[in-house]
Amino acid sequence: MTLRQTAVNCPPLIIPCSRFTTESNKTGSWRFLRPRYENKTAPCSSACPAGEDIPRIEMLVAQGLFKEAWETVLMENPFPGVCGRVCYHPCEQVCNRREFDEPVAIRTVERFLADTATRNGLQPDIKRLNAKQQKIAIVGSGPSGLALAYFLARLGYESEIFEAMPEPGGVLRWGLPTYRLPVAILKADIARILELGVHIHCNKTITPRFLDEVTGHYDAVFLGCGHSHSLPLKIPGEDLDGVEDGLRFLQKLRQGKEVVLNGTAAVIGGGNTAIDVARSAARLGAKPLVIYRRRQQDMPAFDDEVTMALEEGAEIWELRTPVKIAAVEKDYVLTLQQMEVIGEDARGRARIRVQLNKTEEISVQHLFVAIGASSAEQWYKPPPKKSSTMRLSNCSILPRSQGPTVVFGGDLVADIKSVVHAIASGKQAAMALDNLFQNGFDAIRAGIEPNLVGDGPSLSMENYLGWPRTQSSRSVVHHEDLNTDYFRFAPRIIQPRLLREERLRSFAEIDLKIGTILGIREAERCFNCGICNQCDNCRLFCPEIAVVRDDTTQNRRINYDYCKGCGLCVVECPRSAMTLEEECLCNRY
Amino acid sequence: MRLDTVDQEYMYSGHVGCPGCGAAIAMRFFLKAIGKRTIMVIPACCWSVIAGPYPQSTLKIPVLHTAFETGGAVATGVRAALDIKGDSETTVVTWAGDGGTFDIGFQALSGAVERNENFLYVCYDNEAYMNTGVQRSSSTPYGAWTTTTPGQEWKRLRKKNIVEALCAHRIPYAATASIAFPEDLVQKAKKAKAMTGSRFIHIFSSCPTGWRMPSEMSVKIARMAVQTNIFPLYEVEEGLRYTINYTPKGYLVNEYFRLQGRFKHLTEGDLASIQEMVNEDWELLRRKAGEYSS
Ligand SMILES: Cc1cc2nc3c(=O)[nH]c(=O)nc-3n(C[C@H](O)[C@H](O)[C@H](O)COP(=O)(O)OP(=O)(O)OC[C@H]3O[C@@H](n4cnc5c(N)ncnc54)[C@H](O)[C@@H]3O)c2cc1C
Ligand SMILES: Cc1ncc(C[n+]2csc(CCOP(=O)(O)OP(=O)(O)O)c2C)c(N)n1
Ligand code: SF4
Ligand SMILES: [Mg+2]
Repeated sequence: MTLRQTAVNCPPLIIPCSRFTTESNKTGSWRFLRPRYENKTAPCSSACPAGEDIPRIEMLVAQGLFKEAWETVLMENPFPGVCGRVCYHPCEQVCNRREFDEPVAIRTVERFLADTATRNGLQPDIKRLNAKQQKIAIVGSGPSGLALAYFLARLGYESEIFEAMPEPGGVLRWGLPTYRLPVAILKADIARILELGVHIHCNKTITPRFLDEVTGHYDAVFLGCGHSHSLPLKIPGEDLDGVEDGLRFLQKLRQGKEVVLNGTAAVIGGGNTAIDVARSAARLGAKPLVIYRRRQQDMPAFDDEVTMALEEGAEIWELRTPVKIAAVEKDYVLTLQQMEVIGEDARGRARIRVQLNKTEEISVQHLFVAIGASSAEQWYKPPPKKSSTMRLSNCSILPRSQGPTVVFGGDLVADIKSVVHAIASGKQAAMALDNLFQNGFDAIRAGIEPNLVGDGPSLSMENYLGWPRTQSSRSVVHHEDLNTDYFRFAPRIIQPRLLREERLRSFAEIDLKIGTILGIREAERCFNCGICNQCDNCRLFCPEIAVVRDDTTQNRRINYDYCKGCGLCVVECPRSAMTLEEECLCNRY
Repeated sequence: MRLDTVDQEYMYSGHVGCPGCGAAIAMRFFLKAIGKRTIMVIPACCWSVIAGPYPQSTLKIPVLHTAFETGGAVATGVRAALDIKGDSETTVVTWAGDGGTFDIGFQALSGAVERNENFLYVCYDNEAYMNTGVQRSSSTPYGAWTTTTPGQEWKRLRKKNIVEALCAHRIPYAATASIAFPEDLVQKAKKAKAMTGSRFIHIFSSCPTGWRMPSEMSVKIARMAVQTNIFPLYEVEEGLRYTINYTPKGYLVNEYFRLQGRFKHLTEGDLASIQEMVNEDWELLRRKAGEYSS
């Protein structure tokens, strides 16, 4: 008999395996700290005047859920096609990824979504509240007026827009050159707004009498007339024939007028208009020369635009201001006063003064003035501070004993004049009017306040409507709140562009489309600050097996019967979507 | 993080490990990799307690609680019994602390692996005798406070390099792993399971209680040990072929030491000499792995 056969005949090998588990020990009673899931606010969202839920948008793109991502943009901003191209992206300035390698190209991803939606003919599911009785008149179809109409429609209100020009869009239609914003893109964004049942009357200039005539027809009138009156230089020679106003020049181009330039085109000013005039002039054959009284870094024009103008051959003469214009034969002779920096103001802009006896003359073939704009009519201006007007961050509301309430919005009241601020203005006005109609004038501030995104002043419509974002806390996630051990370095996408030579040949759009793979890759760079993206670290690392899957939206929950409150899940959450707080004694057993 | 075995759970809640216990996390990951057909031998250590008092058990696999110094010997016996029964499917695992491995159990372990017994020995390393109140072991690192190296009497001797000692036995497989790198840990456990002969895995398992640090830092600190080269991740086949599994980030050791109360007495000068020791060990490891520095 072999050893093996002997063994087989022996009694079986018994290895004890206990049948009782340790689950009867409710170790949760040890806990004095309590972790919980808590979505927070990303810095980008809080910095986005439209309050877009950026980390969620990026997460959805990374998951390939493009329609959902696009609808998440549309929840807060009706203009993804426009903002994906021309927004000055304050979100990217504060992106937490900036401290890690480079900020996420948030605007590029937004444009990718808009392009993808168009290419696939997507129709958004836009949720709307029940119809209300009140009706609103909107003067001006710039981004502020259109955004207001959009948000009002979602809240159940009917509105009518009156526009002086033959087509809607305001500066987006008649100012911004097509190399930055093709008209088809604008039209697609506007069409989606009109589909919600917004009526628009073009070629209809509104006069102040309107405010009284419409009593009974409308419950409120919104003035989103923009700043279309160019400021004068107030120097001799400015009225000479051919000295052109920058805004009018851009408008002429957008109306399709043929223009040919040659020689040097001087542009006075440092804002977006000045830069767009210079870049347009370059495309029309001239050599642009931008003359600005402070330093280049102080220019109010958005940085990217200035950089591209330089690439396209524009020259910038800083610290010079014109004092006289003279016509000599077909040219203009400009007398320029040199300025010097004597310090900086609170925002870091140069404080300047005239440098005595330092002037120079320059001869140019074209001259454009673009030193800023204000409202074209006195009655567009919001009443002074002391009146009964309610001044909110992006609009002012004037209650009137007779006639409809008047709301001033968009550029008319904006500190920073931008498309996304105009959108923010429309959104805020919609929330304000809803509160006014439903709960009265005094309820407006309190009704808006809970919808601030993070530190504000951005507002969330999703929150206002009571949809899921309501569950996010307003505390903003900073870089030090993240566990960056889970992130890898990845270079930011390089926006593909037309070559310099190609750009100068036409007004064709400069920024090119990016493909799906690049779009997803860029979105994957996002840390998804403050929102759970189901990475599962909390469940994986829990020493107590106290994080269990379930079918809630979180997909998991903490089993407080066993959670000892070690807090490890909160530290291992890469994106600060969990919070550890002191256990309330009342929760203990 | 994605682990294909992640949904299998071989551990129950309700165990009595300290909050944030790295050893509990180590066991959880290890069992996900090794599976149900396992008999575990646990000599005296914290895990003797965590596994539950009879008749309770924290683990869904059979466990033999054995004397402190017998990890290698008992596993040899269990393996022999299974072989006699013709059971080649069941994996025999010894799960021991650093005291039970580096110190008192070393003789039994060395004997077993010299005979190339067919079992897997896991040392979860919390760098002291924690179960009995934080006494120093030969695994306690240079610079550490323990209750037997108190105050200015902190340990001025280096940590024993246990993987080297095992490699000297030319065993088929020896590896380091960390609770902060679950994918690496699971992959190594699976690899070891598929081999025969003596296999050894050394898992770095932080201990908030004994290391005098906040429980929520448990995994973070284990990750830092790897990132700083204090505990490099590598594996050795046949005691000769070294592979480094993680390219370190070149972080300095200071941050790791600063977060733990057991090191709070160390001066800048002490930390500088520790950095030198870490660099030296790392260079040595790289040379063994065939990565020569210029
Ligand atoms: C050249 C230029 C480039 C710019 N580039 C950028 C950029 O890249 N990014 C960015 O974010 N912002 C940019 N801006 C700023 C941005 O375009 C404005 O801040 C924004 O358009 C303001 O929107 P709004 O709704 O207030 O007014 P507007 O866009 O000015 O629209 C006002 C509308 O009201 C109409 N209207 C006025 N009065 C009446 C009336 N009495 N009756 C009927 N209709 C009337 C006008 O015809 C116009 O359509 C740029 C501005 C300019 C001028
Ligand atoms: C022969 C013997 N000596 C001492 C003890 C007491 N004892 C039990 S566990 C332990 C310490 C174990 O340390 P380690 O192996 O590092 O495991 P840890 O508790 O740190 O997890 C000691 C000293 C014992 N059980 N048997
Ligand atoms: S990483 Fe993503 S969520 Fe965080 S700030 Fe940047 S874009 Fe926003
Ligand atoms: Mg120990």
